Amino acid sequence: MSVFTASFAIRAYIAVAAVGVAAPLVGSFLVQRRLALIGDGIGHLAFAGVAIGVALSVAPVWGALAASLIGAIALDRLRAAGRIAGDLALALVFYGALALGIVLLGATHRFDSSALGVLFGDPFVASDGDVLVAVVLCALVVAAIVPFYRQLLAVALDEETARSSGLPVDALNVLTVALTALLVSAGMRVVGLLLVASLLVIPVAAGSRLAHSFRDTVRWAIVIGVLSGLVGLLVALAPPGTLAPGGTIVLTSIVVFVIAAFAGRRAARRHPRSS
Amino acid sequence: MSVELSGVRFSYGASPVLDGADLSLSTGEFVVLAGHNGSGKSTLLKLCLGLLRPDAGSIRVLGGSPDDASVRRRIGYAPQGLRVVTSIPISVGEVVTAGLTPTTPTIRRDRAGERERTRSALAAVGMEDLVRECLFELSGGQQQRTILARALVADPPLLLLDEPTTGIDQQLRPRLAQELRARADAGATVLAVSHDPDDFHAVLDRILVISEGRLREMTHDQFHAHFEVP
Repeated sequence: MSVFTASFAIRAYIAVAAVGVAAPLVGSFLVQRRLALIGDGIGHLAFAGVAIGVALSVAPVWGALAASLIGAIALDRLRAAGRIAGDLALALVFYGALALGIVLLGATHRFDSSALGVLFGDPFVASDGDVLVAVVLCALVVAAIVPFYRQLLAVALDEETARSSGLPVDALNVLTVALTALLVSAGMRVVGLLLVASLLVIPVAAGSRLAHSFRDTVRWAIVIGVLSGLVGLLVALAPPGTLAPGGTIVLTSIVVFVIAAFAGRRAARRHPRSS
Repeated sequence: MSVELSGVRFSYGASPVLDGADLSLSTGEFVVLAGHNGSGKSTLLKLCLGLLRPDAGSIRVLGGSPDDASVRRRIGYAPQGLRVVTSIPISVGEVVTAGLTPTTPTIRRDRAGERERTRSALAAVGMEDLVRECLFELSGGQQQRTILARALVADPPLLLLDEPTTGIDQQLRPRLAQELRARADAGATVLAVSHDPDDFHAVLDRILVISEGRLREMTHDQFHAHFEVP
């Protein structure tokens, strides 16, 4: 049997495809709201959750999910209430969480290769259960965004006007960060907590170079997210098979971004827009 | 009454902006709110929208409190200038359709109806051919007209417009003024903040001027005499 069609590879394809669809979908709203790096910070919170889960003998994904959800929502509410401001406070929380995770894992003698797997991902060692959890979490993200797509877009376009028109802006903001936390937890096994945020952002950045509307950007971003994930896995599987899949997936998405930026510029030259 | 302010006071820190402002707008009135920069025109709109809360006094909008989301859903608001700053392209159609979002159901949407209303709102501002264009590739005036179309698209009973003609060609302004007059004649109340009421001179009902925190009604000639607009 070819390594490309082995059961571990099939599981990885499924998990990566699920994250490839869901990450750009939620990432589009984050990028539009200039919150592109929040996924990175939530990844740090999730790492602390993994460590707490290990200390309490709870599966890492559940610890990551709980910590990232609670932390992300709490930070959003504190931000909305004006209790925290600026990058400094967020950096303190996020790096503090990362440090807490390292200390806890060290204290429980679990700061080993499995910790690196959480940080940098390895979909080839994902079990059926891991893949199922990732797919379900991604499906939840998609199922939550589709009915609220227009409300989320209205808030992302102009929060003040959305609030003035009676939309529940605070609830929609909580929904956005909660979905980001779900996505980070889902992507933990695929590309790792330190790299999952890249799939929230890079496919969206690439898609925006090819589109003239938000909806088309989302469509392109999903295509690019899935494509980058699958090609990245194939690159990692190809001989000699020693490349880390989390890294190849992200690097592939960056290559696609460069191609999209070039293609978008050429298209703009050929079809200059009216003003 | 569509809008009623009574004894409204508001200040930014120690700087009072409104100091006992009273205002009554009847249904179907077209009123221009004028005044110097920083006199509180935009602040008054934001108080009516529930984005700011008065330090004292009462505000009633469309028979309810501006804090009530069901009231705010019935207001069409066009802010001054474009607030959207992003690296993601947004089409003109997406911006205008966003104005329908608060008043349409989350599921079982009438997509054909929404497209028609969006087309109609863009036609009202002379942009029906630009629905698919990327907003950020348009001129400042076209962007302002897009924001105005977003306020009009839901056909709201109250329009609060902050400098709606900023950046728009002089030749187009009478058409927009006539469109707003038609909305008022159909029963909508229009309150437009403007530095220069001349844009609406032929169609407005009243000019109100904010001066020293209070509202005063002026005729067109009084306004010109007071502000020395050439």
